[in-house]
Amino acid sequence: MSEGVPQNAGYLVAAYIVVPVILLAYAASLYRRSTRS
Amino acid sequence: MSLAQKGRRVVLAGLVLLGGVYVRALAFTPVERFQGPAQKIFYLHVPAAVTTELAVILVGLASVFFLFLKDPRLDRFAEASAEVGTVFAAIVLTTGPIWGKPIWGTWWTWDARLTSTLFLFFLLIGYHVLRGAVTDAGLRARYAAVLGICAVVLVGFIHMSVYLFPTLHPQPIVLRPAKPGVPPEMLVTLLLSFGVFLVLYVGFVMQRYAIAQQREGAASDV
Repeated sequence: MSEGVPQNAGYLVAAYIVVPVILLAYAASLYRRSTRS
Repeated sequence: MSLAQKGRRVVLAGLVLLGGVYVRALAFTPVERFQGPAQKIFYLHVPAAVTTELAVILVGLASVFFLFLKDPRLDRFAEASAEVGTVFAAIVLTTGPIWGKPIWGTWWTWDARLTSTLFLFFLLIGYHVLRGAVTDAGLRARYAAVLGICAVVLVGFIHMSVYLFPTLHPQPIVLRPAKPGVPPEMLVTLLLSFGVFLVLYVGFVMQRYAIAQQREGAASDV
């Protein structure tokens, strides 16, 4: 990485964790609702 | 195989493909010089935003047709698309501030684009609350259809807000009349991610539609 590029990878990691967490939580919610008799 | 099972398979495929988008975005797409690694949030934030808009536009279309045709399948689809749109809006409203903090120096600003997007999220929540509050199925579908059409008007406002008001939020760089303003490597990653979000949208809507069908079946049995 060249000098002068902002060092803000922590925000990238946070966003890239949050998105699958939301998607998996919703997928689990749908699964629970559809299998509940 | 039931619709719910098919939907689950589509979602599973979407999640695997999302892993592929992560690999491409993190390892094979260049770091933007001025924004640094945080710019790569773009590959999740923008596709989630476009998919939210698409979901709400489809809610509006299904709602308009429902008011004319009274076909319960249209109401069921609108309900499913609105719920999935709410989830994608939550992604937009989470990734946006995480991207905004290092670039703008603030998590949030009450400008037209951000505020109207938050308002859309609340409107979608209101849509679900409305559906839960009205017991008569015919009335529920009609009221929800009217609110669904209002949501589409808001989507148009959100899209135009960056042109109409001073804002920190950048103007569209892909969906604009001129040539896309991103390098080809970044554009390919963005389009791949958009494709994956579409797959996830379809899979989620299939499952949610199946749940609505199940509920209606159970309600008619009572």
